[in-house]
Amino acid sequence: MVVLETKDLSYSYPDGTLALENINIKIEKGKKIAFVGRNGSGKSTLFLALNGTHRPQKGQVLYHGNPMKYDSKSLREVRKNVGIVFQNSDDQIFAPTIYQDVAFGPTNLGYPREKVDKIVTETLEYVGLTHLRDKPPHHLSGGQKKRVAIAGIVAMDPEVIILDEPLSNLDPVGADEVMDLLNELNYFGKTIVISTHNVDLAYSWADYVFLMNDRRVISEGAPEEIFRQTENLKAAYLRRPVTLEIYEEIKKRGLAKVRSCPRDIPDLVQTLRSQHLMWVDVPPEVEEGDTINLGILYGEYAQDSMYEAINCRVLHIHEDGLAIVEMDRKALRAGSIGIYDTSRYSHEELMRIISRDGIECVGAMGKKSKLIAEGDDLYIHVTSGVIDRSILNALSGQRCLILTHGGMVDHAMDRIRCYIEKSGITLPVDVVNPVKEE
Amino acid sequence: MTHILDDYAVLSPLRYKNNWLKLSVVTFGILAGVSSNSPLVPLVTAACMSFATVHFGKIPSGLYLRLLAGPAGFVLVSAVIIAFFFGEGVKLFSFDVLGFTLGVSSAGLNMALLVLARTLGGMSCLLFLSLTTPMIELFSVLKTTKLPDSFIEISMMMYRYIFVFMEVAMGVKYAQTVRLGYKDFRTSFRSVVMLGTNLFIRSWEQGEKLYVSMNSRCYDGKLTMLDEKRPVKLPEAVLACGYFVLVMFVFLYTRGMPLI
Repeated sequence: MVVLETKDLSYSYPDGTLALENINIKIEKGKKIAFVGRNGSGKSTLFLALNGTHRPQKGQVLYHGNPMKYDSKSLREVRKNVGIVFQNSDDQIFAPTIYQDVAFGPTNLGYPREKVDKIVTETLEYVGLTHLRDKPPHHLSGGQKKRVAIAGIVAMDPEVIILDEPLSNLDPVGADEVMDLLNELNYFGKTIVISTHNVDLAYSWADYVFLMNDRRVISEGAPEEIFRQTENLKAAYLRRPVTLEIYEEIKKRGLAKVRSCPRDIPDLVQTLRSQHLMWVDVPPEVEEGDTINLGILYGEYAQDSMYEAINCRVLHIHEDGLAIVEMDRKALRAGSIGIYDTSRYSHEELMRIISRDGIECVGAMGKKSKLIAEGDDLYIHVTSGVIDRSILNALSGQRCLILTHGGMVDHAMDRIRCYIEKSGITLPVDVVNPVKEE
Repeated sequence: MTHILDDYAVLSPLRYKNNWLKLSVVTFGILAGVSSNSPLVPLVTAACMSFATVHFGKIPSGLYLRLLAGPAGFVLVSAVIIAFFFGEGVKLFSFDVLGFTLGVSSAGLNMALLVLARTLGGMSCLLFLSLTTPMIELFSVLKTTKLPDSFIEISMMMYRYIFVFMEVAMGVKYAQTVRLGYKDFRTSFRSVVMLGTNLFIRSWEQGEKLYVSMNSRCYDGKLTMLDEKRPVKLPEAVLACGYFVLVMFVFLYTRGMPLI
């Protein structure tokens, strides 16, 4: 279903500068969409046209198939459902306290006091800022301000959330927390639209990408297609994502499988050809063509995890007793991923699970889980890129546990299952503290 | 980041006490100090308020003394002058300077002590209020005073953007300093003018951005007020009453009784 659509939309600023030219886009419900373009390509202006702030001189914006009307009642309706989080949080957070700022939207929707209070309390808890509710905004860090800005929009329960450069000026972990939040919102059915010039982010995160340059949309499609069109990227003054660059380079050297399109690090690792050939010392009685068993390889042969090299075929024996063998690898111990839902957190239970399952690597996803871990002095190995890192660690034999809560539990399960399906590698994955049935 | 008074107030535990109770304690202290003829009453209020600010309000005593030192230094100088130039009658002591006789009479000394005590008492009352009640709490008090809503809303936004612009101004000032913008009087003057112009344009732009962002959240002329119910708890009420009784007692006891 298409939520927002533009037809031949052109817009110029009051001083006559053309800002958008013949924009035709369709934004589908429930998708993660990225507008990618360099600074000044028209992304922010387009966003303001989508919620009716800018009225186009030519063409139209359609909301659920109906042309947008610019009387105040229709605009209210659109703005309730199309929320914009501005690039600079200080432009948006204006109330003297966090609570009042988040309450601003719901109050404007005319909700009664008690309902506003309930919504604000829930939203603040959702973004993990309950402890800051009475603080003035200038006491907050950049990442916290960004989450307040998002909370202010989420509190209005819009259908589409548009974020202008959501990760600008954020540190990597803060950026990760914002992305986790967006993923969770998307999982619960919100359409998320972001603008960015970070090609890596757009490539790994989005379902659908619009490439913008010079007031126009120059290309659109799935990220795998868009970011392989080198010419278009060049025209938009952008570069290829790092994952793709690395993949192309190792492919040229014959180290990776052809015709894949890795979007994240687990994908990239998956494209690597397995190492089949190896130089080994063999006893003198072994002849070419024999099958030998090398036993368990560890240490410098297997940096990350031990593996068993069985049924190795000797291809060639060198003069000094060195031989080339071709082998099958069998991981000695498969890793696993457990997901712990911190909305049912109990310290004893978690400790029991960690010692029972021999967990070596604990990751925390989402602010709430991180706060819990911090409060109880749990050592967290992974705090950013948690799902990817856990998959990689599990692939090399570690037992990982992800602490998370709410919608992110299902989101993480889906991501890992999706990986299992795509790669054909089975990793045991489970929610370790499922809801007890009455 | 440097802390300003409001930051201490935001972090003070007394912030979460009933605003009206705090206001009445402060008003009572000031009124008692002003209407008493004896310096003892304002001195008692000063002692009580200072103790409350530092002990209950958890304000660093060094900071508190520094804040008080400004007006106290000023009023000390004034008190000396008042002591010498006010009051007729028998001099307590006197000396000659270049042919003039300077002396202090008991009336002059009483007057000087009263001024000193009143200033200290008033200052400590005001400091108590400003160090334990941040602006954000006072907005809800303003709301009940029947001032027009738009007045309060504008002051709320002004309050918020003071900090935004302060940050901008500090950034610009720093950028000017590292490029030697304050090396002598002429350049400093130029730099300050540029800083001012820049801030003016920025605030203009900020206003427009704010308008767009508020409209995007369906602004229709209503802001939420933070009026949390903070009932007066028994220990607070007892403490406040104890304070009232103490001050009243001192007031009645010292009425018409000069110190010296």
